[in-house]
Amino acid sequence: MINKLNSKRHTNHQLKSSPEYSQASFTFVLSLAITVILLLNSFHYADGTVRSWVFLAFAAYAVFTIIQLIIAILIRRDLLQAGDIRRSTRLLGYVQLLSILSGNLFTTVFGCNLVKKRKPPEYTIAVYMLLTQLCVMAISALNLFKPYVSNTFLPAMFGLLIITVFHFASLLLVAKYVDGHYAHPKLVWIALPLALSAVSGNLFALVLGINLLAKIRRNGNPALTRWGDVWVKLTGNSTAMLGLFFVVFLFCLSVCSLLTFEYSFAIDNNYSAILLPPSLEYPLGTDNFGRDLFSRIVYGARISLIVGFASTLVPVVIGGILGAISGYYGRHTDNIIMRMLDVLYAIPGILLAVAIIAAFGANTVNLIIALSVGAIPTYARTMRANVLLVSTYEYVDAARAFGSSNLSIIFKHIVPNSLAPMIVKSTLTIGSAVIATSSLSYLGLGVEPHIPEWGNILKIGSTYLETHSYLAIYPGLAIILLVLSFNFLGDGLRDALDPKLD
Amino acid sequence: MKGAEAAAQNRLVSTISNTYRKILLNPSYKYLLLLLGAPVNLVVFLIYWIWRRKDPSTQAEERIHSQLVESGALIKLRADIYEQEKRKAAFFKRTADERQLQRQAERIADVQLRELVKEQAAKELKLSGQQRLSMADTFERLLQHPLFLAASFIPGLLMYILIFLYSNPYMKYIFERLVMTVFVIFGVAFLVFTILYLSPFNPAANILGQTATADQIAAFNRIHGLDQSYWVQLWNNIKGIAFFDLGRSFSGNEDITASIARKFPITLTLALISLIVAVAIALPIGIISATRPNSFFDYTFMFVALIGLSIPNFWQGLILILNFSIKLNWLPATFNPANWLSMIMPVIVLGTSLTASVARMTRSSTLEVINEDYMLTAKAKGLGKQTILMKHAVRNALIPIITVIGLLFGGMLGGAAVTEKVFNISGIGSYIVDKQFIPDIPAIMGGVVYTAITISLINVIIDILYAFFDPRIRSKMKQY
Repeated sequence: MINKLNSKRHTNHQLKSSPEYSQASFTFVLSLAITVILLLNSFHYADGTVRSWVFLAFAAYAVFTIIQLIIAILIRRDLLQAGDIRRSTRLLGYVQLLSILSGNLFTTVFGCNLVKKRKPPEYTIAVYMLLTQLCVMAISALNLFKPYVSNTFLPAMFGLLIITVFHFASLLLVAKYVDGHYAHPKLVWIALPLALSAVSGNLFALVLGINLLAKIRRNGNPALTRWGDVWVKLTGNSTAMLGLFFVVFLFCLSVCSLLTFEYSFAIDNNYSAILLPPSLEYPLGTDNFGRDLFSRIVYGARISLIVGFASTLVPVVIGGILGAISGYYGRHTDNIIMRMLDVLYAIPGILLAVAIIAAFGANTVNLIIALSVGAIPTYARTMRANVLLVSTYEYVDAARAFGSSNLSIIFKHIVPNSLAPMIVKSTLTIGSAVIATSSLSYLGLGVEPHIPEWGNILKIGSTYLETHSYLAIYPGLAIILLVLSFNFLGDGLRDALDPKLD
Repeated sequence: MKGAEAAAQNRLVSTISNTYRKILLNPSYKYLLLLLGAPVNLVVFLIYWIWRRKDPSTQAEERIHSQLVESGALIKLRADIYEQEKRKAAFFKRTADERQLQRQAERIADVQLRELVKEQAAKELKLSGQQRLSMADTFERLLQHPLFLAASFIPGLLMYILIFLYSNPYMKYIFERLVMTVFVIFGVAFLVFTILYLSPFNPAANILGQTATADQIAAFNRIHGLDQSYWVQLWNNIKGIAFFDLGRSFSGNEDITASIARKFPITLTLALISLIVAVAIALPIGIISATRPNSFFDYTFMFVALIGLSIPNFWQGLILILNFSIKLNWLPATFNPANWLSMIMPVIVLGTSLTASVARMTRSSTLEVINEDYMLTAKAKGLGKQTILMKHAVRNALIPIITVIGLLFGGMLGGAAVTEKVFNISGIGSYIVDKQFIPDIPAIMGGVVYTAITISLINVIIDILYAFFDPRIRSKMKQY
């Protein structure tokens, strides 16, 4: 009995010693889920025919899912027998790299993870940077099937291509010359252009550039800065990285779509193409005015991101300042501020937003204000609790003994040290801000109806639920993916910034 | 018999005077007490003032003060402090005005002298076993006369009620919580009305149409009281909310309170059913996940929960309608109170995000508790696994969960508007949304404020129940 228990514990311990094993099973489950969804969608149930394109995709996914399963089994065997993953198993990772051609990002990421034994965070960031670039290129390239493209399409695609090649080269260099606490000093020459290439919206490039510069500066020094530590933890968390990847991808796509997408497909009526089913020209079909659903969703991403970030940033700043003041000064200041905020807190966010929009009209700015006002009390409470904790620390007393003014103590010492929970909370609430935005738009209280926002698209889709349900399904999926990504990222950040925080 | 009565009366008197003494030390209650019992307190103060003159402490203080001044202690103190101030200014490299320094030194010296006098007087009194007379002492001595108690009972009734509330920690807590709630409700009414009042829209023009003449608009405004000043309108609306009479709506001419009373129960019933279903599903899931952290179950449940948190209500509703009403034709797509089948989909949609949050919260809260020391003790005592889990882990983990449920329930009532629109439910949420296009100020205000009141009351009840059920809060309250 005890032996059995011991050996079970031993097995568990061995399997947990390598992050690759849990990543392999996670990737397998995700890949399998998509394979099954593709299989279910590859038949017309009404007349029993096969959709050849979907079935082909299913076949490709199935192949890589099976390879993934084999890899997971091999890793398990290696870990139990040798205690380490063999070289031959790691080489299988190169096979998984090919899955990029089928569009299976999960197995591609896993392949990149598997082929390299020791992965500094820079390597993982570089992988995601390249993937983001490739995905944006692929999505933008779908415009080639349109009757015409925007004037800036060709130069923009050419620029994207150059950046992609550069990113690929950087990935190879990073893989070769960055290791543990050491980075080759000559990498400075790619770190700066990498940070510059973030103008395409690829924030991974910016982070990679900063991380490389930081690593080169303190070469060989094993001490970790807070920033570096967060990235080590974050890159080790696959779900958080997937979430971050989707957010950065959507941001990058929103930036690039300024040049590569033709706005008229999204807003101009085209009566010759009303309610068309998905095709190459219209990848997600068209709506009741002949507008391309695909372009509309890409444009909607911009608005969702802007409203989501703005309606989180405003209450974070206002609530943060109020919370910091009331936590630091205490007594009457605290009482007055917190009682005022209690009034705001008593009204449910959506109802307050409805009341504000009822009073001032439905448009994007009012929507941001309405969503922000309701969120102020929660941030103020979070900030106040942190400030109460931080103000008891010695360095605050020290600053006071040196004669710093109250304001400089608050903003130089207390606020920077109580930001972590605010960052986590705001990441987790951007998702709900996105949902609230689309919900209010769906009710006709959000973004103006002529702007292709996801809630507005869904509102139109809901009237064609019986005949053209894809009009309602795709924008909904986009919302879910974005919100899910923010939630994954928030959970990962919470683990990285403060494991005890909730 | 008589002795027992006397003892009871003595106890009463000592409780009252002790509480009176305590309240006088509390900065916020002090003024309330003085105000509520103003006639009684005035009498007590007058007597205190008279007795004070014969008080040994006053005499001792005066004597010591004159002694100190005569012996030259004051002058020495002033010189010392002046020296200190000068050195301080030199150290911080501040140029200080000579006269100003002098004045400051005098001020500080006076304060210190007064403290010194008080200290010495107190020491002297202590040696002779006497005490300084205070207002509370006067009150206590007066209370010893039954005549005073009887005479002051009617004019000081409010004060005695306050003393009674203050003497019992639970009563005090409940009282404070209720006062806070009333304040919050008035704040909500004020805030919502102000927002709607500031609106640049003109309800009269919206309802009567573009062709309305100035006279018609003026008549409309007069009927609905829109021509009155801000304060009058605010007062009328708050009065309307307090007495459940918000008048008639701008369009449709219906009694607003009656409409709200008709629609509110529908929303509340749906929300309550979803809450019960959600909690019944979420608690076991959260506990299972916490007992097997990082297992396959845990990952799957938490992943599903995260997806549940990420689905917009209206989209989920649309997908359910698409699958179960249009394709499979199992459930009706629109809500009908008489048909319980039509309730299933709205309950699922309303409960999804709540289930997800509660499951996540239960997991993290139980995980935290499982690593506590008392769990180890329970295990060491040899208790069964089931007992440890249910009696020690879950009971302790439930407290933050219930708070979260209370808060989420409020969000659910507020967020119901979207679900109600999707399923065509005539609840309070869709009522507010329908009225906002005009904007129908009293209707929106009534809907929002009554929802906020319900939520506040629910949270108050949860808070008060805690105070009774959680031994930790109970013991903390006894000290407060």
